[in-house]
Amino acid sequence: MIMVRAIVRPDKKEVVLDELSSAGFHAATVVDVVGRGKQKGIKFGDIIYDEIPKSLIMLVIQDEDKDDVLDVIIRHAKTGEEGAFGDGKIFISATDEVYTVSSGVAGL
Amino acid sequence: MKEIIAVVRINKVGATKKALVQAGAAGFTALKVMGRGRLVEDKAVIAERRATLLALAQKDDYNTEKLITEFLDGTRLFPRRMFTVLAHDEDVSKIVKAIIEANRTDYNVGDGKIFVLPVLDAVRVRTKESGDAAI
Repeated sequence: MIMVRAIVRPDKKEVVLDELSSAGFHAATVVDVVGRGKQKGIKFGDIIYDEIPKSLIMLVIQDEDKDDVLDVIIRHAKTGEEGAFGDGKIFISATDEVYTVSSGVAGL
Repeated sequence: MKEIIAVVRINKVGATKKALVQAGAAGFTALKVMGRGRLVEDKAVIAERRATLLALAQKDDYNTEKLITEFLDGTRLFPRRMFTVLAHDEDVSKIVKAIIEANRTDYNVGDGKIFVLPVLDAVRVRTKESGDAAI
């Protein structure tokens, strides 16, 4: 199993979650975060905004679903045809074990 | 070294904290998050709670009913608390068991999930210790 953590624009959160749900990946955890990317934030004149609000979508999936999930997130989190700076990043980490609290069973 | 990420009900935060201390994991980070789990396909599981909540709501319009149903069957995102605990490999099963024990309810759904992730390294800022000594 792998954990996918996608940082997306807050206004793209809803559409990404909806599309993930219709692609069969309903479960997710969402956190509002602030951060900056390699463009060092946004600069307007003398003012630098380097705490840009984003949404972090976190979900754990089976290894073989990775490509589907990445495709859905990238397709819907992108702005415009080419995408733009600030559309976000996706991080993937290994997950050893998963437990459901209500039943206590291991596995997704 | 493992990272245990547990998403639990907000009213179980106190119980979870107590369980963590008893399981020997005193340090943790907690975060307010929004989450949803697997869709509940078998509506019978939530029927009883739906009836109770509808009775409590004292309103009988379509919107209230829709809201309550969506909260229970997992269509909506609802508030949860996310705990992040670092643990030595051998303590993981004990801590997971403690969290499960503390968070179990009779509702069958919505009690949360626990993820165990491998961690490459950790450093204690004060002493610069790294690896297992930092936990």
